[in-house]
Amino acid sequence: MTNIAAAVRKHAPIFLVAAFALVPPAQAQKSGGSITVGQELEITGFDPLKVGVYDTSTFTAAAAIFDTLTTLDEKGEAAPKLAVSWTHSDDYKSWTFKLRQGVKFHDGTPFNAQAFKENFDRQKDPANKCRCAFYITNVKEVLAPDEYTVIYNLTDPAVNLPATNTIQSQNNVVHSPTAWKTKGDDYNRNPVGTGPYILKSWSAGDRMVLEKNPNYWDKGRPYLDRIILKPLPDAQSRFASLQSGEADIIWDDENDADNIMKAQKDSKLTVHTYKGSGAQVYAFNTKQAPFDDVRVRQALVMSIDRPKMSQAISNGLSRPASNPYGDGSWVKCKDDGALPFDVEKAKALLKDYGKPVEFKMLVTATPRGRMIGQVLQQFWKRAGANMEIEQVDQATIPPRAFMRQFQLVPWRIVDLADPDPQMYANFRSGSPLALSNFADPELDRLLDHSRTTADTAARIEDYCAISRLINKEAIWFWTFQNTYYALSSAKLKGFPKIYNGVIDVSSTWLE
Amino acid sequence: MLNFVVRRLLAILPVLLAVSLLTFLIASLLPGDLAYVILGDQATPENVAALRRDMGLDQPLWWRYLSWLGHVLQGDLGRSFRTGQTVLQAVAERIPVSLELMLMAEFIGLLIGVPVAIACAARAGGAFDRFMTGSAFAMLSMPSFLTAILLIYLFAVELHWLPATGYVPFSEAPLSNLRFFVLPALTLALAEWPGIMRVLRSDMIATLQEDYIALAKAKGLKPARILFVHALKPSSLTLVTVTGINIGRLLGGTLIVESIFALPGIGRLLVGAIYTRDLVILQGVVLLVACGFVLVNFIVDMLYAVLDPRIRHGHA
Repeated sequence: MTNIAAAVRKHAPIFLVAAFALVPPAQAQKSGGSITVGQELEITGFDPLKVGVYDTSTFTAAAAIFDTLTTLDEKGEAAPKLAVSWTHSDDYKSWTFKLRQGVKFHDGTPFNAQAFKENFDRQKDPANKCRCAFYITNVKEVLAPDEYTVIYNLTDPAVNLPATNTIQSQNNVVHSPTAWKTKGDDYNRNPVGTGPYILKSWSAGDRMVLEKNPNYWDKGRPYLDRIILKPLPDAQSRFASLQSGEADIIWDDENDADNIMKAQKDSKLTVHTYKGSGAQVYAFNTKQAPFDDVRVRQALVMSIDRPKMSQAISNGLSRPASNPYGDGSWVKCKDDGALPFDVEKAKALLKDYGKPVEFKMLVTATPRGRMIGQVLQQFWKRAGANMEIEQVDQATIPPRAFMRQFQLVPWRIVDLADPDPQMYANFRSGSPLALSNFADPELDRLLDHSRTTADTAARIEDYCAISRLINKEAIWFWTFQNTYYALSSAKLKGFPKIYNGVIDVSSTWLE
Repeated sequence: MLNFVVRRLLAILPVLLAVSLLTFLIASLLPGDLAYVILGDQATPENVAALRRDMGLDQPLWWRYLSWLGHVLQGDLGRSFRTGQTVLQAVAERIPVSLELMLMAEFIGLLIGVPVAIACAARAGGAFDRFMTGSAFAMLSMPSFLTAILLIYLFAVELHWLPATGYVPFSEAPLSNLRFFVLPALTLALAEWPGIMRVLRSDMIATLQEDYIALAKAKGLKPARILFVHALKPSSLTLVTVTGINIGRLLGGTLIVESIFALPGIGRLLVGAIYTRDLVILQGVVLLVACGFVLVNFIVDMLYAVLDPRIRHGHA
């Protein structure tokens, strides 16, 4: 064991966790059968080096084929998966995970600390130029001091690393090193993990067939013999497939409000909703006029009528947001400092500013992006500001944002088990993701404090103070909270919470 | 005849060259830089510049075109940067689905269009003729996504007769395969038959006014025999052209229909490539489809020449 590992052991409290806490509360699970999942997008592949970042459809497949070190339980707290227990250093900059023994990848390769480390090193290696490397810049290194111990050394403290590492993302799922080495370019479409299901066949654009892993480490799981994933891109026909029984569960979102409401009234269907944390957000570039003046920013935020906007874009399903955390987060604020909806005040602020307010806003070149742009345009026009919509494709938004080539950009704070990674990245001065170019010593102090404090109550205080400060300065604003949907046949049971929008069917069964 | 074939083939060459140039330009004309797309979150100016250099995007357009064309002529249409699949692999996997869909759609279109045209022509101006001509007009103006959704609700959700979405390869289960294709093919055919009907109807009306038809009538031949034996073949020349052109037009329809019915064909591949900015796939598919269209037109020309010898001798 290395010195670091020994040091971690000595100083850190031990988390006592039950080894088999994965299965949701007792219900009579039935084995056997097969389900079809209707997804929105076609999966392009699983190799992080090729696909870069997993999308929502890939998450579903990844949740079945692969395992992560940890998982989120029903309470939203980290529970064991490939790791059985974990400890941390006092400064939260080093985390040690003890791995489950006797686990094998589908190709027979043993899962151990070395395999885990190789996964990490492959993503991090600058020579591989993986887009996925961006999301692990906070991890300095991963060490494998012995066969069943993995140590994360971080550049910044992370009080909740086991919880934030649970999502079945490109960075967290564990691939078989043997498989990617032997298959080369073909690995992308022939993934090998340790998960409950094994990829059996995959015909491009049509279906991916996953079959039960008979040697899965979690005995008794999975329940279904087969999972078929189908890309059904059209929302109307996807819903029709569920109604006519060709699909057992489908992905859906607020854009498709009519069908969600129809499903709510249908006794043969179940609507699974998860009110996650995070929000749909927008960032002002405070280095550019007119957003270098706080009055303009405040005026624009105050002229947004969120309930009316929700009605316009999603039949009222979207839930207004007044802070970046959302109802699904453990951060609950008595006072988040939200600016009130007040058009008269907004007009007065713009009048006070004295110059005409004209600017451009980036939106995605999709019907939804266009609609959101038009609704905001109308609100702002009423307050006396002129906004021009600039439509760009989805892939153009991140680079434009990182290079600060925007005045106002749409963004997203996704559903993570802890607000720290995103809040720190989005608001700490000097961060490449601090899109607003806004620096404030008090904001930095609060962000630094929140990530090195173990006391949850104190952290909540910090995050609420952060929300008040951002709302007052109006450097970002939030429109709606994240809500995730899946519609299924009422016969499908055991479907877990839709954390981060992942439709995880790997522990479901048919009644 | 050989002379005619060679002349036509030579005429195709510049067309193919123009097609390749236009296809290549798609990548340059579309907004958004490929380097940005690949790098995404990591698109710093330095990274973008380095990648552009690696991919030759910093070279002049003509040089890139020639080097791309060189590869294409050797059968190398490139590889998707997202999936690692070659364009030819991706197209080979998808083309049978689209071909089956288009052929079935054209077949159903003819099955509806031809009898209706004959019936209309037999009593031109009558109640049936006026009703069908009106219906044809209505069907032409109906967008295919609407037809598709209506068909799905009627036949899949309400009646449970046919599946709403999905696909099985013909080699696996021939009957199921056909079941999956009925609704998508019908959707396309419902937009196809009006064109077929109108062309054949007007040609037949013209043919029925010819002297030899009058003679046949005078001889007391049965109306059905006159219609099917004496009038149909000479009236179907335009129909052959229309059917050929339709196959090209149908490709456009498959973009929407394949997405709605979740058929894994070329249309879906193309939509996916546009959505993910997979320009290599996009270029490759458009090039192959365009070449396919040129080829179909060539075949139609040949058929035309067989049906009417005046054409191959350059008199028509």
